[in-house]
Amino acid sequence: MEEIKQAMALYKKILVAGCGTCVTVCWAGGEKEVGILASQLRLARSAAGNDIVTLEATVERQCENEMVAELKDKVAEVEAVLSLACGSGVQTMATMFEDKPIFPAVNTTFIGMPEKEGLWVEMCGACGDCYLDRTGGICPMVRCSKGLLNGPCGGTRKGGKCEIDPDKDCAWVLIYRRLERQGRLDLMREYYAPKNFRAVKRPGKIQAAKA
Amino acid sequence: MKNIDFDAVAEKVARMPGVTCVNLVSHLCLDEGREKMIASIREENLDRVIVAACSPEFKEHIFRQALEDAGLNGHLLAMANIREQCSWAHEGDVTEKAVELIKMATNRARLLQPLERKELPVNRKVLVIGGGFSAIDTALHLSRVGLRTTLLEKEAVLGTGTGEWQSLHGFDNSSMTAAVEGDRNIDVLASARMTAAEGTIGDFTVTITREGEEISRKYGAIVLATGFRTELAPTSTLKLRTQAEPISGISIVSQEQLFHMLHNSIVEAKPRTIGFMFDFSDENSRFPTLTTLNNALAAKNKWGSEIYIFCKNVKVDSEGAEKLYREARECGVVFLKCETTPRMSMDNGRVAVEARDVFLGEDTIIACDLLVAEELLLPIAGTETLSSLLNIRLDSRGFYQDENVHLYPVASEKKGVFVIGGCRGNLDMGRVLTDISSVVMSIHELLSSGKIQVEIERVKADPQKCVACLTCIRVCPHSAIQLIRVDTGKDVAVISDLACDACGVCAAICPAKAIEFQGYRDDQTLAQIEAIGES
Amino acid sequence: MNGRIIAFCCEHSAYPAADLAGRLRLHYPESLRVIRVPCAGRVDVIHILKALEKGASAVLVLGCEDGACHHITGNIRAKERVKQCNVLLKEIGVDGRRAVMFSLSPNAPHKFVRVANDIAKTMKESREAR
Repeated sequence: MEEIKQAMALYKKILVAGCGTCVTVCWAGGEKEVGILASQLRLARSAAGNDIVTLEATVERQCENEMVAELKDKVAEVEAVLSLACGSGVQTMATMFEDKPIFPAVNTTFIGMPEKEGLWVEMCGACGDCYLDRTGGICPMVRCSKGLLNGPCGGTRKGGKCEIDPDKDCAWVLIYRRLERQGRLDLMREYYAPKNFRAVKRPGKIQAAKA
Repeated sequence: MKNIDFDAVAEKVARMPGVTCVNLVSHLCLDEGREKMIASIREENLDRVIVAACSPEFKEHIFRQALEDAGLNGHLLAMANIREQCSWAHEGDVTEKAVELIKMATNRARLLQPLERKELPVNRKVLVIGGGFSAIDTALHLSRVGLRTTLLEKEAVLGTGTGEWQSLHGFDNSSMTAAVEGDRNIDVLASARMTAAEGTIGDFTVTITREGEEISRKYGAIVLATGFRTELAPTSTLKLRTQAEPISGISIVSQEQLFHMLHNSIVEAKPRTIGFMFDFSDENSRFPTLTTLNNALAAKNKWGSEIYIFCKNVKVDSEGAEKLYREARECGVVFLKCETTPRMSMDNGRVAVEARDVFLGEDTIIACDLLVAEELLLPIAGTETLSSLLNIRLDSRGFYQDENVHLYPVASEKKGVFVIGGCRGNLDMGRVLTDISSVVMSIHELLSSGKIQVEIERVKADPQKCVACLTCIRVCPHSAIQLIRVDTGKDVAVISDLACDACGVCAAICPAKAIEFQGYRDDQTLAQIEAIGES
Repeated sequence: MNGRIIAFCCEHSAYPAADLAGRLRLHYPESLRVIRVPCAGRVDVIHILKALEKGASAVLVLGCEDGACHHITGNIRAKERVKQCNVLLKEIGVDGRRAVMFSLSPNAPHKFVRVANDIAKTMKESREAR
């Protein structure tokens, strides 16, 4: 909150922009969160005797030019935009509205899924060289603390927990059990060369074939 | 309400935007008052009505009906509680607060929307899971009010799990089973278990597995009457033999075994001294009290034994318990009130019980030929399975949790699923009979007409805004929300009008603000807040 | 909205308790404004924040006792949301005592009155201290 307050310190009228897709689902930046953040800011600034006017808007996907364009009128009215979208959304906005400072209000950390209500766990690191076929559907790059690709480090704790983070399951124990269950343990005997991080030239770019 | 200046209120309220007329009426809930309101609505062609009076908890439904009688949807009413929560709650003049409360209600009223009702058909058949006294009696009663029941018994024979309990309380298992067999409204599925359950009240689809075969059935309501089991409390330090041995040996028995000895078997040598233990490990159940008193009196009368009862307290709030207690005392049964569990040891083939009665204040050792050990009353195996199949909760002891101990004791938190008798931890016969009457009445009220009236879309997820994050589905305490493909091809959350209990938890948690709860929408709440503090 | 206290009262517990307080002529501060909700779980963080924005001295959320919620988990969710509110308020330097949750039964008018009186007193003292 400190960061956000400081970033907004110079402005008197802003747009708090949400995104209706990923960040809504993980309770970080949907219409509800937009309302709460805007209210918090107004309260903070009013208490400091320096009122701020906040417009609120949420589009279906902030990473879509056509959808972000819908915010044109609101953006024109304000001095800056505080976006609760992921990095992709923030940048789409920034590209569409080049003259307006666009600030991120959330830190984008990982691609994950909800293990249970309210608990999201990292699943994918977007490395561009997917190994999930060889590991029974468990990503060792992201879910192993050391990112090992050829089996456990040997330091696994009792109960199948990671040596480095005892709250984490050892990914390779999970992989072994999964492959055992599917009768595919032979996969573990194969050697896999180090990951090719050049598979994805950053920034990534994909051109789909014309359809 | 003497501390409200009603004329001043009327004057201020009349000036609020959109207010067409202000009527000061006394006894609005009585015929004359209601007539005036209905007349006003019709004459002035009103869209919304605000009633500033006593608490809505009392009369809201009367006023809603009055609106309907006047041709206006009953949900276009807002109430301001200017009596219990204003005039009566504060000293001095409260006119200003009254005006503000009316303003809050008016702001809300402007945003109210009409809600239509519809009639949905319901399945009139009832599934009763269990085969003991509660289950059978419920089925028989339901039959008498014209509803058809299926009794689902997991053993091969109805009532196998009940053992001697029913005879202990004077109910004859065989005549009940015969009554069931003769009743055309009841069908029995034995050696069968429920393995899946879907749907909502009035429309449950249940999968029953019997000897490897799967049967699918539909019911309007489900009653859990699966009973309970007993286990020796851990305080019994000596091993229990499966049969009570002749008195020369060590004899620790359960209540059921003693009952059997007293009524069904021939005992060679009558036990001279019998000890009973109860109320140390489980202070909640009344069942041990009743069985102990019954068994003690029977033993006294039949064998003339000396009887000592060790307990913390004798709780006699069950029906007939106090009378039994007095009878027992009058026959010479000795009660020892102990703060701590007595210690047991072997002494020459008898069980020596060392106890400290609070009134005697000293340790006493009583050697018993027969000791009836303390028992714990526990849920039967399979309770957890059924609870997760039906998505209803268990209480801290593992029994099915009733919705509200005082107000809705036989309902579970899922509408249409009821729990009665032993399986909800309710273990004395008087209360079990009440359970049965309650559940029969509830189900009769619910299903007999074959129709149920519901408000349409009182709580609704806007398919345009819903992102199918599944949060509401996971969070709904009544399992009333499902992910359904709508016309546009999108999967969205759909709230069942029947199963929804209008709590609003989903509306509050939805991260996309897609759920609207009519009457308690965000804008309606905020409109009330807006009204506060402006003079 | 000088000194107003907004109380979100669940219709199964706090609302009847407040009614009972009135019937027993138990008095509490006139600055209290009750908003009736079907369950404490209906109350959202934004309702509390907006009430404070509007100038309420404090916002009370009153629901059922633990284990007694008619909607099973509504009161638990309300508690968590009020806690979340306290965190949000702390982040911006607002007194966390201005958003509070209490549990009570419908037959506890004295508790309702005590809670109302206590919060009014706390807010008054904090105003005078400033």
